[in-house]
Amino acid sequence: MLYVENLHKSYLVANTSVEVLKGVSFQLAEGEFVAVMGPSGSGKTTLLNCISCYIPMDSGDITLGGEHLSGLDEDALAKVRNQKLGFVFQDFMLLDGLTVQDNILLPRILSGGVDDMAETYADDLCRTFGIDHIKDKYPSDISGGERQRTAVARALINHPLLILADEPTGNLDSKSSRAVISSFQRARKNLGATIFMVTHDSYAASFCDRVVLLKDGTVYDTLVNAGQRGAFHDRLLAAVKAMCGEDSDDTDL
Amino acid sequence: MIRTYNSLTAALRRQNRKQYLLLFLCCFVSVLLITAFVSIMRSPTVLSVLPEGGDSRKQVMMIFILSVVGCGVFTAYAAGLFLRYKGRELGVLLALGASKRQVGRKLLGEMGALSVLSCLAGMALGVPLACGIWQGFRLLVVDTEEMALTLRPQAALFALVFSASVTAMLLWMAWRALRRTNIMEIISEARRSEPIREVKRWYGPAGILLMVSGMVLGYMAPGFFLEVLHYFPPEAVLSLFYLPLFPGLYMVLLHTVVNGWGQKKNRYQNIIANSMMKFQGRQTVRNMLVITVLIAGGYFGLFYIPTISAQNTLSTKLQPADYAYHYRADQDIPEEPEIRALAEEMRVTVTSFRTADLARLTIDGTTELETETPFGITLEVVYMEELRTDLFLSESACRALTGEAVSVAPGKVLPAASQEDGYTNISRVTNPFTGAVLTVEPEGILENSLLAGRYILSDTDYAALTAGLPTEWRERQIFFDVENVSETYPFAKALFNAIVDRSSQSVAVIDGWDPVIRERCIAEKGYYYADPDYCEANGLGNVDYAQRESSAFRLYWQYMPHFRVLDQNDFTKTVAVFLMLFAFVAIVCFAAVLVIAYTRCVTIALNSRQVYDDLRRLGASPRYLYQSVRRQVGRVFAVPALVGTLAICALYAFILYFNGSPPGFTPSELAGYSANLAVVAIGSAILYAVYRATLRTVLRSLRIQPQRRGRARGIQRTI
Repeated sequence: MLYVENLHKSYLVANTSVEVLKGVSFQLAEGEFVAVMGPSGSGKTTLLNCISCYIPMDSGDITLGGEHLSGLDEDALAKVRNQKLGFVFQDFMLLDGLTVQDNILLPRILSGGVDDMAETYADDLCRTFGIDHIKDKYPSDISGGERQRTAVARALINHPLLILADEPTGNLDSKSSRAVISSFQRARKNLGATIFMVTHDSYAASFCDRVVLLKDGTVYDTLVNAGQRGAFHDRLLAAVKAMCGEDSDDTDL
Repeated sequence: MIRTYNSLTAALRRQNRKQYLLLFLCCFVSVLLITAFVSIMRSPTVLSVLPEGGDSRKQVMMIFILSVVGCGVFTAYAAGLFLRYKGRELGVLLALGASKRQVGRKLLGEMGALSVLSCLAGMALGVPLACGIWQGFRLLVVDTEEMALTLRPQAALFALVFSASVTAMLLWMAWRALRRTNIMEIISEARRSEPIREVKRWYGPAGILLMVSGMVLGYMAPGFFLEVLHYFPPEAVLSLFYLPLFPGLYMVLLHTVVNGWGQKKNRYQNIIANSMMKFQGRQTVRNMLVITVLIAGGYFGLFYIPTISAQNTLSTKLQPADYAYHYRADQDIPEEPEIRALAEEMRVTVTSFRTADLARLTIDGTTELETETPFGITLEVVYMEELRTDLFLSESACRALTGEAVSVAPGKVLPAASQEDGYTNISRVTNPFTGAVLTVEPEGILENSLLAGRYILSDTDYAALTAGLPTEWRERQIFFDVENVSETYPFAKALFNAIVDRSSQSVAVIDGWDPVIRERCIAEKGYYYADPDYCEANGLGNVDYAQRESSAFRLYWQYMPHFRVLDQNDFTKTVAVFLMLFAFVAIVCFAAVLVIAYTRCVTIALNSRQVYDDLRRLGASPRYLYQSVRRQVGRVFAVPALVGTLAICALYAFILYFNGSPPGFTPSELAGYSANLAVVAIGSAILYAVYRATLRTVLRSLRIQPQRRGRARGIQRTI
């Protein structure tokens, strides 16, 4: 469903071009829950931003639901972001002036208006993610976990092909993190959502079907979850340790 | 429930109304002040008393340009701030699939509507504001017929151009914000700090050096061009010499914000306040620069009032006779018997009465022949045996007038001068009717402010040279004193009116009118620029007996009497328009300063709420938080106030020192300068009061308790 082929991306830092992605390739099947992990500077967020069409790629190809993203103009890219992608950000990116329900409906509002069906669906999502009781509140009045669950509901409102989540548990305590991961699992189970998550949190990643390990802009390894979450978590930790080097204590992923 | 994009943007507007209001008010205030300024500056009321090409008009224009630039920079700052806040919102909408076209249309529409509305409001209220302040002056300070304010439609045109520029700038900034290549850049805009690149410690001293160079070069350049190169470049070129002032000022402010002055004993002291200032560096320094320039401009305008007031007070006080006037001998002007009769009638006691004959003779000298070129005016210095005329009196007449033992040897000439007015060296005096010529050599100077600019010859030379002069070239000078001069205003007024009423139209000429120059001009150009018919067209004051109370008449009539009591009492009225214009300019500049400084400080509160919340969580005491805020707010006010005030005081002292020949301070200049320092004290007190009020607002906004001052040394330990 998502194909990333030989993706390259460089940034200009102090007049010097620094290559952040050096030919990344992988694919995602429909209904999969995949995480990307890697040390700081490995290119995780850049990869996500390229798939999100937030930043232009230098070369390579990204295909989403059969559509090549590299050749699209700005309007078409906006349509892809609105219709085919759902986003969950580390700092939630909710608009303070809108209620929880309005925030959830935001992608719908942008794509031309809200009808009764959309409202009903927003109510369903609120119930699914346990935020029904706060749907008329504003983001400043609710907890971090509730904000992130609101963001997950918002990501799903347009029935996207893919949810892209950038460190969704990065700003949350363990209880809220768990609730957000549960939201992803529910979204996947109940709504058939496909989720691609960038994370430093090996515990959160251990709930995924697959984890792509990224190092220095290339895919270092891919680990597949055989079904036992605890065992997968241990494997993940070991792989991360190996990736970061035996003599390094840097397992801060 | 929000269902459409329009209702979404309306909800977001409601949420961010403070940001919209801030931008609206900033644009509104900018346009308001500039409209008010230009309305007064281009008003015929003001233009009629500001000679074209004169220093006062140039000064007002210079301050106006600074105000326009200042208000422009301030509006750009406000728009930048607004767009930083909008950045996150725009980023979220774009990230969720809004197209740039969709978001851009709305943003540009909002920016356009906001700027057009604020500009219209500013333009609409700018004129009433100008009229209101002017009427306030008339009501509370001084009112003359000349003060009646008339406005020109051209002023509205300029206000419109300024408003259009503000609108265009806002739209361009919004368009540029949208044009960013990627969404992440737009989202991160709100969080982006503006660190200043490394600022070396030599920036401060180098900045001061540049500022001093700008002052010296700017002031000295016209004289250098004129006297050394005999070439006068266009005004714009001359203005360039002042340019080092601005980078110098920028460097001084940059150094102050980033490095501070003096050796730091403890680099951690005030680290929060210093680094917050530093990381909003560009904005901070830009704002400070604008405030500094406007403070300097405001004071420069305000200094005009004490300077000329002190000059007038001192010159009237020191003038050697209570009453002095001169008139052409062919005029039927009141003389001693009539004056004594009038005095008796008005119960004034004349204590002494002195008269003397004067003669108008031609003198030699050098002049500069101007040739206009596309690159300025070239000047050719030419010596002329018959350059212009001046008034001469004999040594015995001078003794009779002044009571001083004046003695002039044949072949010598004694120039009269005062500390304020100098004289020109001459070597040849001619009677243009008989052709009699006398070669003279200047000897000594007679100090007398009422005779300044005239020459005294020996009795024999005077008799020989003036023989054959027609009556129109002869004049009478009258000096007399009275008892209790300060109580003789009605008499002075009556005598002044009598002199004006009985003067013929042939003497209704300005001070610079000269029969020899006239003849030469008419021969060369066919007209004389100082003739009454051409005065106005050439930017010279027009002398009209019906407008005898006007400043043009009182300042420029060649035969204007000098009555101590009249000059003292009518001074404010005579120069009312000048005084009020400069007071108005100062009000506009200081209003802009206060609004900019206040806005800047309020945005410190808006920007720093999170930082202060974090510091509170880290255990910072209320006193520490208070000191940190006070330091930032204080710096926004204190640094520009200090730099602007010191710079303008230094520049003004420099100008006063070098404007005379030889360079130096005259007593009236010193008196005026002292009065200026009093003005600075008042201005500083007002700034301090606004600083205190602003500090209270910022502290309230950040929920920090005001603290008593003192015990600053212990503050670091409390965090």
